[in-house]
Amino acid sequence: MQPGAFVRVLLPTRGKPREPGLLHVGYVLVVARGECVVAYSTSQPWPSDTPLPSGVRLVDAQDAARLNQSRAFLLRLDVLARLPMTRDWFPDIDHPNQGVIAIAQPSLQTELTRLAVNVARRRRELLQICADRRVLNPPASPHHYTHC
Amino acid sequence: MSQTRRHSTRPGHAAKGKQPNRPTPAAKVAITFRLDTDRAARLQVIAEAENRSLTNYIETALLRDLARREEADRVITMYVAPAVSTSIHPEDVVRAEAESDEDYAVRQALAVELWSIPDNA
Repeated sequence: MQPGAFVRVLLPTRGKPREPGLLHVGYVLVVARGECVVAYSTSQPWPSDTPLPSGVRLVDAQDAARLNQSRAFLLRLDVLARLPMTRDWFPDIDHPNQGVIAIAQPSLQTELTRLAVNVARRRRELLQICADRRVLNPPASPHHYTHC
Repeated sequence: MSQTRRHSTRPGHAAKGKQPNRPTPAAKVAITFRLDTDRAARLQVIAEAENRSLTNYIETALLRDLARREEADRVITMYVAPAVSTSIHPEDVVRAEAESDEDYAVRQALAVELWSIPDNA
């Protein structure tokens, strides 16, 4: 399995966050040492009056068809899972195609990687703001450091 | 002569000021709003299909919306499977097919950062 693949994966759920969960198509963002980071996808429509969070990429029906998927979907680069590349999580990993449905074109891979970089940067900046606030307003007790 | 105040012992009839330690439901505020007839009728049909009252359906829909907005506020949700490594070296990152050096460097840096994010799911 290589980075840039859309793959069938048992992504964890909120109810059982440490266990293989529902079968989804995920996007393999990074692969390293037999582990990978997979982004969630969903074909549930997003409410029209709610702005898309940063890190969410709409893949329209036309692009979805190029990726061997039957309908438009949202790729959630802000909802990720770090998983071992084993049969427990990737049920088709022993098959010749390893459960890979499609490989994103290089231009799409570049775009998705950049999008993930931006989300990670925003997270880092927020953490930095939290840290700055703590410096400016030091809490009375170290226990107060648990929340920003 | 002292008088002993008699307390009710019947279930559900605890004396005033002696309420048992039951969790009290959160206070709710009543909200009135107007909706056009067609939409109200559609909502009623959906509520009946979900075996809910219209009020309960609307409350649930609003709670779902709030949950979605809160989720949008969170920048990255990271699920981490048990027993995966907590850090990686850039040279461990697998290169995508035909990936340019520049893109690969970006992916390597991203990987190191993603591995540093703790499980927050």
